[in-house]
Amino acid sequence: MPAVQETIDQVRMIDVDQYKYGFETLIESELAPKGLNEDIIRFISAKKEEPEWMTEWRLNAYKRWQAMEEPSWARVSYPKIDFQDLHYYAAPKNQTGPKSLDEVDPELLKTYEKLGIPLREQEILAGVRKQGEPSDLDDSPSDNVYSSGRVAVDAVFDSVSVVTTFKEELAKAGVIFCSISEAIREHPELIQKYLGSVVPVSDNYYAALNSAVFTDGSFVYVPKGVRCPMELSTYFRINERNTGQFERTLIIAEEGAYVSYLEGCTAPQRDENQLHAAVVELIALDDAEIKYSTVQNWYPGDSEGKGGIYNFVTKRGDCRGNNSKISWTQVETGSAITWKYPSCILRGDNSRGEFYSIAVSNGHQQIDSGTKMLHLGKNTSSRIISKGISAGKSQNTYRGQVSAHRKAANARNFTQCDSLLIGNDCGAHTVPYIEAKNATAQFEHEATTSKISEDQLFYVMQRGIPEEEAIALIVNGFVKDVIQELPMEFAVEAQKLIGISLEGSVG
Amino acid sequence: MNLHAQNTLTEAETALVNGYSSRFSDLPGDADVTVRRDEALELLKQGLPTRRVEAWHYTDLRRLLSVVPDFKPVANAEAVAPLIENALVLPVLNGTAHGREAGPEGLTVATLADKLQEGALPAEWLTASDRFDAVGAINAAFVSDGYWLDIAEGAELDRPIELQNIHAGGQVHGRFVVNAAAGSKATIIERQTGAGDALASSVTHLDVADGANVLWILLQEQPDDAAYLGQFSASLGKDSSLTLFIMNGGGKLVRQEVKVVARGEGSEFKLRGVNLLGGETHCDVTMVLDHLAPDTVSTETFRNVVTGKANGVFQGQIRVAKVAQKTDAKMACNTLLLTDEGGFSSKPELEIFADDVACGHGATVTDIEKEHLFYLMARGIDEKTARGLLVKAFVAEVIEELEDETVIEALEARLVDWFAEHG
Repeated sequence: MPAVQETIDQVRMIDVDQYKYGFETLIESELAPKGLNEDIIRFISAKKEEPEWMTEWRLNAYKRWQAMEEPSWARVSYPKIDFQDLHYYAAPKNQTGPKSLDEVDPELLKTYEKLGIPLREQEILAGVRKQGEPSDLDDSPSDNVYSSGRVAVDAVFDSVSVVTTFKEELAKAGVIFCSISEAIREHPELIQKYLGSVVPVSDNYYAALNSAVFTDGSFVYVPKGVRCPMELSTYFRINERNTGQFERTLIIAEEGAYVSYLEGCTAPQRDENQLHAAVVELIALDDAEIKYSTVQNWYPGDSEGKGGIYNFVTKRGDCRGNNSKISWTQVETGSAITWKYPSCILRGDNSRGEFYSIAVSNGHQQIDSGTKMLHLGKNTSSRIISKGISAGKSQNTYRGQVSAHRKAANARNFTQCDSLLIGNDCGAHTVPYIEAKNATAQFEHEATTSKISEDQLFYVMQRGIPEEEAIALIVNGFVKDVIQELPMEFAVEAQKLIGISLEGSVG
Repeated sequence: MNLHAQNTLTEAETALVNGYSSRFSDLPGDADVTVRRDEALELLKQGLPTRRVEAWHYTDLRRLLSVVPDFKPVANAEAVAPLIENALVLPVLNGTAHGREAGPEGLTVATLADKLQEGALPAEWLTASDRFDAVGAINAAFVSDGYWLDIAEGAELDRPIELQNIHAGGQVHGRFVVNAAAGSKATIIERQTGAGDALASSVTHLDVADGANVLWILLQEQPDDAAYLGQFSASLGKDSSLTLFIMNGGGKLVRQEVKVVARGEGSEFKLRGVNLLGGETHCDVTMVLDHLAPDTVSTETFRNVVTGKANGVFQGQIRVAKVAQKTDAKMACNTLLLTDEGGFSSKPELEIFADDVACGHGATVTDIEKEHLFYLMARGIDEKTARGLLVKAFVAEVIEELEDETVIEALEARLVDWFAEHG
């Protein structure tokens, strides 16, 4: 069954030529010279006022990276990247602790305004107003979730974290939320213990590159037994031309801790391709839970396939403790090329991993994304729900791995991945790897044609609802299951996708 | 740096390559065939594929094919009793076709050696499909004999044909070509077996012309110390149908490739398979199915039982071309993993370029359902027997889907034999 009109319209609304965040901010930047070598790495390290061990760590990563080869197994194609033709450091000038709105670079303010972040929140973002204080910029009471002031934001602009909000309030609860650069300076013991412990330096080509040149990102530490009092969030913005963005995020949830973290990203519309190679590491100790959500909306290139971000990201969570849980939710609509596999290492007994994904590709976008669930501990369980929608001339691939090791008694996995094609020039692909080495493992993988059973349809239709509407109703209900995994803050963006029906979907 | 460049060949690779010069003078074929053989050898000189090659992700041929025996068989090979009594048996014994019996009406039988000598085999059939088509390359370099069957237009063969590739150790490389002309109907059984330490390869080309209907049973029962590399290719014409049943029940290293092209509108392909894996078997079934025409239907079901230290692999790739609208493809791979020492890996892939299709796949790996076991045991059946019953039922389900009663009975008998041997 082909896609219905409603779905086609919905997908068109978020087509590549509808990209709303493609503007550029004219702001004075400090740039490192183009190219990648040991001096540039020392330059970045010096800029960040890093200790010697960190510089060495980076140089070691650089050495390993040089010996590695760019991976070619993903179903994406692009011209060879010239890694010497990039700026590895770009930062807006004069960004040290704004005190009032007047002191914040107005261009920067405008940028956040244009990005559609509500004004009150924008003030918070610029660090001038404490939570709960009224704002003169905000006349009408806003009903969005940001206005409740319960979201702490770390705003990363090109290579630097511009500001982190709510640090003090979080500190009262014992939560550390700051830029990774700051963490390296102020919490070296935590960084030394955990950085690279989930994604080793030489894990893969882009992880090694990131380890050598990462410029900023967020650091979260939630101590034992603490439930993080608010949502944490990072907003990534690439602005400068010819730069690559290499951010690094490290989240640690100690015993019994809980944290929910959101990530958003946009970039200007340009003819050139820009590289974004991030590494995200999550560590959940005994009974801890981390929820990580992404709405990825990098510039996808124009309708001819020119420009756009190459999004080569390594995201991995380590359920290190017993009864720990890590959950990834992603809504992917941006980037020219996406290469990302948020994974869970289920090391602790009874640990659980989840992956919920909606990936929409349009224009000439290429997505090769999925997850890995590695069952190592006893009684571990994982769940994968992936929805891929491809339109235009795009290629959308789900690639996922589920494996149970010999000692992973009673490992359980449920995987479901569906995809939908709109039009005749796109492709949808599914490549699951299912590996069991344990008799008590129970793996189920399915990719079904139609999500709607006759029974469900009959049930709705016999209440006088026409078939098309009945289908939409059931399907929307189903997709909401995934979208509801997103924290409220991101639901708005994700709402655009809710109307997409997945009937007639193909494996 | 080329990841696949291997500076030195392993002992087995060297033996494989060196075997060519000693064997070459005995191999049939005209000048064209010789060119193809030489080309295949050049590929082998670059080394066998490792798991870095996606198509060999779970079967590191370079490591697993550790011994390549000499060509000389240890003893004379003899044809085995046919699976179905009245079948016409066409045996290839230690690499030489011996069948001389006249077949049923509508069937023409020739030996592959004669056809190679005549230069009748299309050049591309003796060419590896790519750099890592190791099965195609090994067979192309060393193929000695086999059969070439032509089934006449509209002919419905009144008895099954059984092709046998039997060895008594050493190396055997056989090939079967079957052309089922338009509107014809046939049941073909392929047996791959023998005794002793061996390297056996077998390549099959089946053409099912418009409206033809073929049931193909492939029974692989190699001895515990044999390596078997099989490749089955079929092309389906308009409104034709092919049912392929594969049963793997032996071998030390088994790679069975299935390549099917549904090129004709309205064609139907059914693949049913049973992998009975015990001992230290490593068994890999890799299928690539291309839907190239509209309204084609395919279903693939594999049931696997893994015991002992066995390792099983199923890779199934369904590709749907842009023109192949209304394709209906369903693939399922269910595994009973009964051991902690073995393993099973599956990779059911879909690659879809048409927007109005219904494709799906399912894969499960699990142990026997406790409720089922309890149900039987509550009726006074001891655990071992109950487990046995459930495992047999799990695979028998697939066999029973075949419509022919005689075939079902014969296959179930093989099943019983296997369980008797492997508990």
